[in-house]
Amino acid sequence: MFQLSSEGLVEVKKELARYETKESAIIPSLFIAQKENKGWVSKEVVNYLSNVMDIPESKINEVFKFYTMFNQKPVGKYHVQVCATISCALVGARELSTHICNELKTHHGEVTEDGRFTVSRVECLGSCGTAPMMQVNDRYYENLTNESAMNILRGLK
Amino acid sequence: MPKCTINGVHVEVKDGATIMEAFYKLDQGIAHYCYHPGLSVAGVCRLCIVDIEGNPRPQIACNTVVTEGMKVTNQSEKIKDGVKWVLDFHLINHPLDCPVCDQAGECGLQEQYMEYGKYNSEMAEPKVKKHKVVDLGPTVVLDSERCVLCSRCVRFTDEVSKTNELGLFNRGDKTEIGTFEGQELNNKYSLNTVDICPVGALTSKDFRFRQRVWYLKNSETVCTGCSTGCNVKVYYNKEGTFRVKPVFNEKVNGHWMCDDGRDIYKFVNVEHRQTVAHKITAGQKSEMVPGLAATEAYQVIKNTDDNNLAVVLTGQYTNEEYETALKNFKTKNIFHWKNKDENWKDFDGLLIRGDKNPNSKGLETALSKAGLKSDWKDLESGITSGKFTTVIVAGPENIKAYPCFDDRVKMIAKAENVIWMTACSSESFKAFHNNALIIPMKSYLEKAGTFTNYAGLDQSFKKATTIVSHALTLAEASFLMTGQTLPMPATAAVSKFIDDSRRTDQVMIENRKKNEFVFKRGNL
Amino acid sequence: MSEVKYLTEFYHLNEFQGLDGYKKNGGYKELEKAFKMKPEEIIDVVKKSGLRGRGGAGFSTGMKWGFLPKNNEPRYLLCNADEGEPGTFKDRMMMEKAPHQLIEGMIISAYAINSKKSYIYIRGEYDYPIACVRKALEEAYSAGLLGKNILGSGFDHDMDVYVGAGAYICGEETGMISSLEGLKGQPKLKPPFPAVQGYLRKPTIVNNVETLAAVKYIIRDGADGFKKYGTEKSTGTKLFSLSGNVMKPGNFEVPLGYPLKDLIFDLGGGMKPGRKLKAVIPGGSSAPVLTADEAMRATMDYENLASLGTMLGSGAVIVIDDSQCMVDMLGTLTHFYHHESCGQCTPCREGTGWLDKIVHSILEGRGRLQDIDLLIKVADNMKGRTICALSDAAALPVLSFVSKFREEFEFFVREGRSQVKGTQYAQMHH
Repeated sequence: MFQLSSEGLVEVKKELARYETKESAIIPSLFIAQKENKGWVSKEVVNYLSNVMDIPESKINEVFKFYTMFNQKPVGKYHVQVCATISCALVGARELSTHICNELKTHHGEVTEDGRFTVSRVECLGSCGTAPMMQVNDRYYENLTNESAMNILRGLK
Repeated sequence: MPKCTINGVHVEVKDGATIMEAFYKLDQGIAHYCYHPGLSVAGVCRLCIVDIEGNPRPQIACNTVVTEGMKVTNQSEKIKDGVKWVLDFHLINHPLDCPVCDQAGECGLQEQYMEYGKYNSEMAEPKVKKHKVVDLGPTVVLDSERCVLCSRCVRFTDEVSKTNELGLFNRGDKTEIGTFEGQELNNKYSLNTVDICPVGALTSKDFRFRQRVWYLKNSETVCTGCSTGCNVKVYYNKEGTFRVKPVFNEKVNGHWMCDDGRDIYKFVNVEHRQTVAHKITAGQKSEMVPGLAATEAYQVIKNTDDNNLAVVLTGQYTNEEYETALKNFKTKNIFHWKNKDENWKDFDGLLIRGDKNPNSKGLETALSKAGLKSDWKDLESGITSGKFTTVIVAGPENIKAYPCFDDRVKMIAKAENVIWMTACSSESFKAFHNNALIIPMKSYLEKAGTFTNYAGLDQSFKKATTIVSHALTLAEASFLMTGQTLPMPATAAVSKFIDDSRRTDQVMIENRKKNEFVFKRGNL
Repeated sequence: MSEVKYLTEFYHLNEFQGLDGYKKNGGYKELEKAFKMKPEEIIDVVKKSGLRGRGGAGFSTGMKWGFLPKNNEPRYLLCNADEGEPGTFKDRMMMEKAPHQLIEGMIISAYAINSKKSYIYIRGEYDYPIACVRKALEEAYSAGLLGKNILGSGFDHDMDVYVGAGAYICGEETGMISSLEGLKGQPKLKPPFPAVQGYLRKPTIVNNVETLAAVKYIIRDGADGFKKYGTEKSTGTKLFSLSGNVMKPGNFEVPLGYPLKDLIFDLGGGMKPGRKLKAVIPGGSSAPVLTADEAMRATMDYENLASLGTMLGSGAVIVIDDSQCMVDMLGTLTHFYHHESCGQCTPCREGTGWLDKIVHSILEGRGRLQDIDLLIKVADNMKGRTICALSDAAALPVLSFVSKFREEFEFFVREGRSQVKGTQYAQMHH
């Protein structure tokens, strides 16, 4: 059963009071809950939030499944998101993501065996001038080469 | 009250009305899926595009307010071509399920296609696969691939039943209707979503795979589930009745009906009916024709003094039947059998009322007009004391609505002579050991008449069909049981059923009838 | 011609990010000046300046503000910092380097339209810009620049950040409003327009980050001062995000009307060694593509690009050189729009999927010759029939790529491999 920590619950309550309607707090609350649920949102999380926020599950579920930043399946400790839209594709981003997958011995969208990485191709991250680049959890890493990308990933604890 | 022109025809509409409402008022055909007069405007199917004079871009009719002098057409080549393509977009991922889909014959996609179809599909890519045969709950089955995402069902659970079970999940062409995992579509109005779904995405578990709709006739009548008196359409053929759908009535039920009302076709089918009359004498049962049983009843009644005669009526017969019966039965001991009347004032806020009889009010009015008022307790004491030697009962046809049925039958069975008129058979009738006659009645589908609903509104309905042909109506039985012969059937017109000029919800009924015998292709 | 450091004058100073550094370099002086003006005067000067929406639509900002109803309803100002248009990354730089510039521009704009509450809707992936803006807001509140009775003017205003969660469609103004209201980020039917009924059905103005920041400079220099830059109908400067196959990608601020070829070859450092220019997308991925010849003749203003059949859009210039396969690049775009369609209305939902499938069929060597004309037909029929412009934005690249580079498509269909790369899709990079 999923439960927010007491700090997390305080955060959610703050969000509920922060905007003009309580529905606006769904996105921030899902982020808070996702952080505490190992980086993904499960059915139990939606159930829990529905009780805390007093909003029907179907409404929270609609928002949850609409946005790409909420993960519907478990992800590795480090979610490596490589942008593959046109500006990045023009400078070899897709080759980079394939290289990362091969080096980490995984496929796009899967969790590595040691549970540390999930590599995904995502759409434009707004970093087109410093392509190729990747976002690992919250942080952007830009102007990458095959080597520099692997160095960064191997350096993560 | 702005005036506008739709395809050359002038019409005046209310302030703030949309072009779609003008089309509805004129009963002109316009392609649409997501618009429904009982729900909010979504504007997502994009089929109702029209050309407005002076506007270079086609606009959607459901969201454009009519202004004075607006000239609208949906018959121009540009619009027809546009509708053709938008319809094609609806179809590119639609599965080829017509042979097994319940909706065939009344499907929005089929109807639009006959009218505007492209006939040369150019989609050569694999279709999107989604969930099929999803158990949404106790009454509804979902097939996501067939869904055209008009969002009518979601708006229904949000705005009408206010239960918020359904949602549109995911994005883009992976969007699917559904409930949250582990939850059910389980409210008292869930089957309305099946009615408003233009395609076979939501289907009724009860009706699933039972009949092809083109083998069904339909007739409009009044629901007998409770005293609200929703207007409904019952679908039937020689094999029986199969389903019930709501009919729009602004004053009574709007566009909807409840799930309980959907079951009113069940007790009418021949397997539940009392098909022959039974005569029970000292425990021996013999069969006979209903008319003969009624004349036998006359022999009993003729020899009973009015003081010793009791008549029990239930609120499930028509006003005309009550009028005739009360005229024929001269006794003053007429009792109104009420079922759980402590709940009769219940109302769930939408349609369901606690009085599970269609015509309690009609009965009460008839009784008070005839100046008859009796206390139910007197019936019980009268039978026990032996005062009432003969009890005539016009029993309920919807026996499930009478939880005390078995007890009451046993109580009445104590009388010396019982004449029980009933449409449906029941195990409870085994309680009759003394002299008893069980006479089959016609159900509400088999007679024309009028019900008065809780608010005093009279609603007349036509006869739909005949299921037990020799059964009697209460009026006919009362004639025979008082020694009279049956009069000639009245040829006077039954009052018009509600509003003949009303618009049906299913817009393309006309188109379907148009296509019935002529296979018409669009432009080849 | 070189860059013009108008909005970006102090971006090279790290201290400009913080309140003290900002104030030292002229920060919040324009706010004081604005409070001495009447709100109508501010709307008027913005109208006269010819400022057009810098997010992509290019609609006259002053005119948009003028659509607000003249009543006492509470109105909202929403800053569109969703920046999802592929190729665009200018707003990110502005929020990282000069969050106070945005805040000041917003307070002035809010004062002009009499709004007591504003939101900055920032896309969820922009973790660092969000932190910069949040910190700047805290500083502004502490310094009395936000909240009650700002600088003693009698004007109250509250500003907050709302973080998105990954949806390009939330960059559409009504999609953003839906998202802010706690619903899915699906655009709303128009009419009613946001200026009349927007956030919570109240009058709402949605403006881009750069547009709101520019308001400060219009107050400082007046309409004429602003109009010194740019052309007659496209006034002022704009930040252009240059990306793709150039030596020096990045953000450049130049006056509108700047020649595209200078942007690429001068400021952008030109092509990589040994490569030639093949195509340019001048205004973000939704803008029709230009051939190299057309690009050499183009100037970066609304009118000239419209006359060439494309648009200025968000000002994201994507440069494609002759080593790239146009079919492949179109594939990335169709994939993008297919992924980002919200799914509400049928032509877009099904059409984006269909276009994506056809292009990938061609890429996988299974294309048929009629697929090329089919792409055009499908894209044509997606235009002008939907709730928002994403359908048009998905259709325009397809139409322009196929019509201007048809030979490559036909080669791919005939030979089953790329004319440029020589290989099939699967061998190219997967």
